[in-house]
Amino acid sequence: MSTSLRDTLVRERYLLRFSWAMQDFPKYKSIVRELRTELTATAGEVGMRQAVADLGHPHALAHGYLSGLGRPVPRWTTGAVWGALMVGAVVYLGAAYAIGTLDTLGQLGGGTVEREFLGATTTFTNDDDAISVSSTITWQVLVFYACVFTVPFLLGARVWRVWARTPEPVHA
Amino acid sequence: MLVLALLTERESYGYELVTRLHEGGLDDLSAGTLYPVLNRLERDGQISSRLVASSAGPARKYYLPTETGAQQLWSTARAWEQLAATVESMLARATTKESS
Repeated sequence: MSTSLRDTLVRERYLLRFSWAMQDFPKYKSIVRELRTELTATAGEVGMRQAVADLGHPHALAHGYLSGLGRPVPRWTTGAVWGALMVGAVVYLGAAYAIGTLDTLGQLGGGTVEREFLGATTTFTNDDDAISVSSTITWQVLVFYACVFTVPFLLGARVWRVWARTPEPVHA
Repeated sequence: MLVLALLTERESYGYELVTRLHEGGLDDLSAGTLYPVLNRLERDGQISSRLVASSAGPARKYYLPTETGAQQLWSTARAWEQLAATVESMLARATTKESS
């Protein structure tokens, strides 16, 4: 029995949200694969909408799997997204500052200005011949960008969960 | 415990187990509650699974208790009976005192 396009979309939308919530469960892809098979087979009995509804909210389902581990797990993908967003925000602010500086130079009749940040000199030029931004690079700047990524990455990943202890199993 | 008990009666796939639990009186139980339990039991080696071809779609995963699962069911059932007996006796004492 083939699955209709609509049913496939319903199923895959659910599984996408479930996968995101399960990102740090060990070997979660095999669980997603199993769930896809189970949903497809169950849809043959009760319909895809009912099969998906019976699973409940994807985050609640993922929580059920994660709590079965008996310990919290780090969320590396979330950490990477946080780190990338922070680096993106700093790059955006730097670009906005550069454009603003060049624009101001133009309004003032053109010229060159130098700014220093963590030992690195950035030169902004806006005159009749050229519009340019050039910069030197120092180890302090590299450390700064590393921190801009690493700190939100570690916080977003809840890195302290790496050291969380696994409690003794309780059988009820 | 109930999952192991039902699987001891006969092997089942996930959704069938949900239906059997509903028939047993656990109306509120959803498939979303059961699948993580099956995953944990299989990871702990208490149940094993095999794929069986299905007429309604792809092959389904059927579960059966392992030897470890059977032992676990036995010890959990004993513990449950003891707990139930304790609760019953305490409630009986309380309700007798209240009525006298």
